[in-house]
Amino acid sequence: MLDSLASFGSAFAGFMSPGVLFTVLWATFLGIVIGALPGLTATMGVALMTTLTFTMPHTHAILVLVCVYVGAIYGGSRSAILLNIPGTPASACSTLDGYPLARQGLAGRAMGISTTGSWLGTLFGTLCVAAFTPVLSEMALKFQSFEFFWIALFGIVIAGTLAGGDPLKGYLAGFLGLWIATIGQEPHYNYQRFAFGSTDLAGGIGLLPALVGAFGVAEVLQAMRGPAVKAVSSKIDSVLPRIRDVFRHWRTILRSGAIGTFIGILPGLGEDTAAWSSYAAARRASKEPEKYGKGSVEGLMSAETGESACVPGAIIPVLTLAVPGSAPAAVLMAAMLIHDLNPGPNLMLQTPEFFYQIVAMLVIADMSKLLFGLTLVRPLLWILLVPRERLMPVVFVLCVVGAYSITSRVFDIYVMLFFGCIGFILRELKFPMAPMILGLVLGDLLEKNLTRGLVLSGGSVVPFFTRPACAVLSAITILSVLWSIPAVNRGMRNLFRRRRVA
Amino acid sequence: MADEASSVLPHEEPLPPRTDLWTGAAFLVLGLAIVSVAWRMPTFKEQKGEIYTAPGLVPGIYGLVISALSIWLVMRSVRRGRSSAAITSRAAPDGTSNLRLALAAALGLVFCVGLIGHMPFWAAAAVFVTAFIALFEWRKGDAWPRRFLRLGTAALQGLVTGAAVSLVFEKIFYVRLP
Repeated sequence: MLDSLASFGSAFAGFMSPGVLFTVLWATFLGIVIGALPGLTATMGVALMTTLTFTMPHTHAILVLVCVYVGAIYGGSRSAILLNIPGTPASACSTLDGYPLARQGLAGRAMGISTTGSWLGTLFGTLCVAAFTPVLSEMALKFQSFEFFWIALFGIVIAGTLAGGDPLKGYLAGFLGLWIATIGQEPHYNYQRFAFGSTDLAGGIGLLPALVGAFGVAEVLQAMRGPAVKAVSSKIDSVLPRIRDVFRHWRTILRSGAIGTFIGILPGLGEDTAAWSSYAAARRASKEPEKYGKGSVEGLMSAETGESACVPGAIIPVLTLAVPGSAPAAVLMAAMLIHDLNPGPNLMLQTPEFFYQIVAMLVIADMSKLLFGLTLVRPLLWILLVPRERLMPVVFVLCVVGAYSITSRVFDIYVMLFFGCIGFILRELKFPMAPMILGLVLGDLLEKNLTRGLVLSGGSVVPFFTRPACAVLSAITILSVLWSIPAVNRGMRNLFRRRRVA
Repeated sequence: MADEASSVLPHEEPLPPRTDLWTGAAFLVLGLAIVSVAWRMPTFKEQKGEIYTAPGLVPGIYGLVISALSIWLVMRSVRRGRSSAAITSRAAPDGTSNLRLALAAALGLVFCVGLIGHMPFWAAAAVFVTAFIALFEWRKGDAWPRRFLRLGTAALQGLVTGAAVSLVFEKIFYVRLP
């Protein structure tokens, strides 16, 4: 216990130099700006910054990315409150009560609530990272190929089922991502799959160019196609949070923090699901549910706490299982791999100091977010009003640089363009993007562990179902697929209803 | 408005069955193509390779799953199309423009394929940003002095973007530019 506290202390002390604190400030501010601007998301911000920071030492690079991630998820609430347009998908829920509050002339109070909720949410989630990551890592050390195969498949299926919308399209997107991950040389014989003689394709599809395309270019196209945005007002009341709001809604804050962190831990779901789930739970438990959607302080607090608690929550499975809990966490994991860190159960054995550093990074980023949330109100409003015609070409240039800079291949720019078009079309066709990204990230893990498991068992699939953890994971995965079949879903509901009546 | 919290998100709204039918058909073609290519991959049996490590096994499974899911999507869209309560496509929100989309996509393509590699990156970025702003801010009824002013600010932003990106990425972060 004392050893752990000393390690946390030394991790914090390592970040307390003026140079590092300056990095924290600019990275968090950049994250808030990225999150606040409609059309730019946390995933895109983290992906772009991954390329910008890959020449930095790994601790500094990951610190920048954590700050951008934390800042961007919070920044989305600014446009949700002032423009009624979520800056990031995670902030969609905040528009329900944030915008009505702004229309009542309480934009400042709404921003104060969002800042407090977001700050407390990330703090709650970070405490969970510190408490649960070592325990989960120890459990994960006992896992073998059979379990890792199911974890990867479970992540894609759960993301497909719960990412929102049509589960069938979620599964299709997930398997599309898994197939794309097989393009290039395979791991056993270096055979070039789906390369058709192209040396560029034989090198595989880079994760970052694909992500920058699917999130950056697709969002530029969507922003240019959609209608222009307008701010609700340029007059803002005090943004200082009221202590009464915090004490009055402490149950909502704790509940939303727990829900947000739990949803973060589940692979691929992410901050938007966390915000909606926290909001729905708060409304069910509220004494004033009729105020929800009309400017409820409690509603806004629950959404903000939930989405921000999800950020550290999504990092827990990255550190323990090498499975990302959200799309931005997937990019963060890719960045860790680029920097030769080894996310997963061995992280605590090989680089235990990195775990303590991650906790320290989250706390420092959270504090920095609070500082900007309370001080930089007017400049953020100006940034929000930058016309998209002036912003989007700059974003596109950054996407090109981001796609190119990791491997210096012009081919990666074409990959980015291709994934930009695919991402745009799939969104228009109502396909969730999280399962596809998860498929791309987990493809390698799934294939290696499936083939390794089959070789170990001499081709028998029995161990994939009979080992205790496998039995649980396979049961949940199969049940969640069955649950998404309407006929089975109806049958199960009727069965439970009949039992209750009996 | 409160009910919106429990209602569907924008990406959860169902599409007309015909759209899903074509989407399912496209995925079916892709799935079958993956299976066909995977089936023709070598198994490396002559190198005493095990069938579980054959390069085509895993992509073949993915292809089969994609085909099965797309058949499910096709069948569901046919069933929904037959029902009386078929979903009609919702009108796009006011201000949505496919022309703007096409113009943005075309400019992006010209930048990536036509400009990058043919001139220094800072110049390519400056030309792209200037053209993008100038074209999107072009208004039919504007007087020429106003147009020149807009064009001037667009060119200035283009040059600043090109110079700033080159400076920040190459000189500060040591990142190679295309």
